[in-house]
Amino acid sequence: MTTIGRTRLADIGTYLAYGVICFFFAGPLLWLISLSIRTSAEIYVSNINLWPEHPTLENYASALNNPLFPIYLWNGLKLAVGGAFGAMLFAAPAAYALSRFRLRHQQLTMIGLLAVQMISPLVIMVPLYRYMDRVGLTDSHVGAMMIYIAVAAPLFTWMLKGFLDGIPQSLEEAAMIDGCTRFGAFMRVVLPLSLPGLTSAFVLNAILGWSQFIIPFILISRPGLLPIAVGIFNFQGTYSQTSTQILAAASVISIVPAVVVFLVLQRFIVGALMGGAVKG
Amino acid sequence: MSEHAVAGTAERTGSPHKRAWHLAERPLVWLAPLTLLLLITYVYPAIDVIRYSFTDATLLNPEYAYTTDSYRALIRSPDLPGILWVTFVFVVASVVLQLVLGLLVAMVLNRGVKRRLPGVSVVRIIILSAWIVPGVAAGIVWQLMFNEASYGFLNAILRGVGVSPVAWLSDPDLALWSAVIANVWRGTAFSMLLLYAGLVVIPSSLYEAASVDGATALKQFWYITLPQLRPILLINTVLISIFTLNTFDLILPLTGGGPGRATEVLALYTYNTVFRNFDLSNGAVLAVILLLISIVFTLIYVRLLPREL
Repeated sequence: MTTIGRTRLADIGTYLAYGVICFFFAGPLLWLISLSIRTSAEIYVSNINLWPEHPTLENYASALNNPLFPIYLWNGLKLAVGGAFGAMLFAAPAAYALSRFRLRHQQLTMIGLLAVQMISPLVIMVPLYRYMDRVGLTDSHVGAMMIYIAVAAPLFTWMLKGFLDGIPQSLEEAAMIDGCTRFGAFMRVVLPLSLPGLTSAFVLNAILGWSQFIIPFILISRPGLLPIAVGIFNFQGTYSQTSTQILAAASVISIVPAVVVFLVLQRFIVGALMGGAVKG
Repeated sequence: MSEHAVAGTAERTGSPHKRAWHLAERPLVWLAPLTLLLLITYVYPAIDVIRYSFTDATLLNPEYAYTTDSYRALIRSPDLPGILWVTFVFVVASVVLQLVLGLLVAMVLNRGVKRRLPGVSVVRIIILSAWIVPGVAAGIVWQLMFNEASYGFLNAILRGVGVSPVAWLSDPDLALWSAVIANVWRGTAFSMLLLYAGLVVIPSSLYEAASVDGATALKQFWYITLPQLRPILLINTVLISIFTLNTFDLILPLTGGGPGRATEVLALYTYNTVFRNFDLSNGAVLAVILLLISIVFTLIYVRLLPREL
């Protein structure tokens, strides 16, 4: 066989593989969407047509008309954005120090950050629940957000440090020679230059916060304070099998914001994340 | 964290804001907020978990006494071997599948990118979407896929081809494997990303030299790709092992740990012990086990990291 023929054949094989990959990864999400636009009658008809005979958006309306559902979404957004923003306040100066000073225990500090990231939030939630209970911060967004911030801060620092390492120091040094304090140079030169890195880390951590389950699941029991991740879990528990289509619609609503935001910025986020994971 | 440091660019200029300037030259000042945060929310609680594990504390009663009963009870516990076995199978199976699948996907994506085939980025986006789906939602998605009612996708297909439906989630022998599939669906993207990053930096001259020598694609994979990827494969293994060990939000909506205890992994068992049975001391012992496993994995990971951080 000619080389061109063989390459063609390999291309066809590659596309076959893509087909299988897409079926496995997109299939479940397409099925979820398919269920979410069915009428309750069609849920129980055993047809595997992705597109139902009588598609409807009613299930989305039903989900959103549940008085708690918009509150879940708002709480989820609040905790995710607040957590990522808070983490940024802790991570930015730390990442700056790790990138710009020659620390004697640089290696150890980075490893410490890594070690913290490896600990399951469940482990720290066991005692944290007790402390929070004692000071009355269970069932409160302040208490939950503190832990969101703590969980996000190490990854945020790690990603941002990698980004700062790629920014030449000459600009901030020039600013400092011109009379800027180090802090002034940090605020006016370093932070604006690291905006792409800040954005990537912020968005990824906000998405992870949106998905965060275990912290609010343990800390919050008042329905009006729950974020969406716990909200749809409760939905699953309360809805009967006959309203699976509404559960599916609710799940779609919970997935879409995270996926859309991520896809828009995926190249930056993945780059920043891999920079931290592979290069260190 | 590090207190002593050599200021990199200190003493370069006489600034009017002398005091603030000196303060800002100390790295500890920059690191202090994060250090304090992590001491309060991670280090102290982690130590406290260890302390609780040596008490008889419950979540309901603030009083407790020190004892090693919890450890003794755990060793004698009839549940523990089953929980550890389930956790082991779940982690090992998930990790192996995520490695194999992640590598296969990374390789076909890499090939597509090199050949500039149209549609590669769409495939990549689809895989990443599965990764970014919140864990609870992923659990619900797969609950609907495996469901034994008529809206369960897999059984609908089986019925379509005339095969009798399978009890994906209610058969104790199958439920764990169903959970593994759901976890692999969600986790493969991360594994793929890491391996892809490793693939693109393998010099193409290695492959060219091998083809000139007449090495088959299989041989090239075995003697070039795998050895070159070795460090990243190891790092990847550690990371996805840890992620899988800590998986909790996916299993809860999928099976709730059932049927029976067929899918109750260590993390879920810990949660149930503390927050369902209010048994803080026994739960703390389990949390200590989780903590120790994390530390061991971290140490392995650190050993594997090739360069200066």
